[in-house]
Amino acid sequence: MSGLARYFEAEGFATVLVGFVREHIEQVKPARALWLNFPMGRPLGKPNDPEYQKKIIRAAFELFDRSKGPVLEDFPDVIPVKDGRMGYAIPPDYVLTMDDVGDMDALVAAVQAEIGALQPAYEAAVAARGRTTVGASGMEFDDLVPFVAEFVRGGRPESPRQGVTPIPMLKLVTEDIQAYYYEARTHRDSVDDFELLGDWFWLETKAGLLMMWLEAVALETEDKVLRALVDYSLLTPRFWSEGPLPGTSASGW
Amino acid sequence: MVMIPEMPAVGRGFIEELEVFINDEYAWTEPVPATERRVALVSSAAVSRRGEKPFSWKARDHRVIHKNDRDLVMTHVAVEYDRTGWQQDINTILPLDRLEEMADEGEIGSVAEEHYAFMGAGDPMGMDKSAHAVAERMREDNVNTVFLLPV
Repeated sequence: MSGLARYFEAEGFATVLVGFVREHIEQVKPARALWLNFPMGRPLGKPNDPEYQKKIIRAAFELFDRSKGPVLEDFPDVIPVKDGRMGYAIPPDYVLTMDDVGDMDALVAAVQAEIGALQPAYEAAVAARGRTTVGASGMEFDDLVPFVAEFVRGGRPESPRQGVTPIPMLKLVTEDIQAYYYEARTHRDSVDDFELLGDWFWLETKAGLLMMWLEAVALETEDKVLRALVDYSLLTPRFWSEGPLPGTSASGW
Repeated sequence: MVMIPEMPAVGRGFIEELEVFINDEYAWTEPVPATERRVALVSSAAVSRRGEKPFSWKARDHRVIHKNDRDLVMTHVAVEYDRTGWQQDINTILPLDRLEEMADEGEIGSVAEEHYAFMGAGDPMGMDKSAHAVAERMREDNVNTVFLLPV
């Protein structure tokens, strides 16, 4: 973002950015930047809090009053994070192997039952918010769980979407399933705590277990693209949980 | 707070090796008065309108979002940042409603017709063409102020 800010500034636009990685802003030196000591993923801090969101925008726009730059100032509030990490992370010792993968049909049925139980909450969430983020994959919702299950079984289903190959499609499918769960739960229980939500999804739900089985498959696969999902921490939230999974390099970037 | 040396290897390596396509010359554009600001948002959250082509994992292109668009999906490659905030409220990452309110209250001049999303994990060195295209569109939209937000 800092590089884009400098480009647009040079093109004649007055720019200001908010950012999470202070050192990176210091290195690139955009004209005006406000550093946020927040969890990543929340540049406006708090959902459904318009006044707090505008407080951040106003603090950023105040930097337009500075007469010269580069300007880098700190937003005074801190939104704390757990253990210095900037997002949810699965406990590092929770790693499944192929020996843990069991009855796939039974798990699919359990996930579908779970999805059915959450459906009223999900529909209420969509009605209340007027939108849903489920649907990035573009697949019919009923097809999502079987699509993931087929990969766990060792199959390689074709992507139904032109221009999107199977593994990137698989990643989008897993994210659609997660979005359904999180949208339902945040609305039903009025919770806004990604640590609580992460523990719930990854450690308690059957859908989370399905993803963990998929990760176990990806850890042992010879398919380089599927393997990349774990090498680069793109499937399960392990980025902040101290390093690579057993047997992965995590150095590809 | 996140410090680069303390980041896990998978992210540290990516950020440390980032290069940008800007030249060495420092740029500074004089801002217009607040009430004359026409503001466009630029997000690195890889959001797009439902049905549009998903961002690729290292995408260098961008998507255009109309100021009235709310039916957006996210196809960012990374999973290390929180998504539950944006799932609850689009303004957590793309404050279109907040800007409209600020325009209505006279704090800014107006909200641009179009806003722009990039893939934050993309290689900035390859984004120059896309950035140029965005700059052209913003000029056509009479934008004078750009607010950039990461995820």
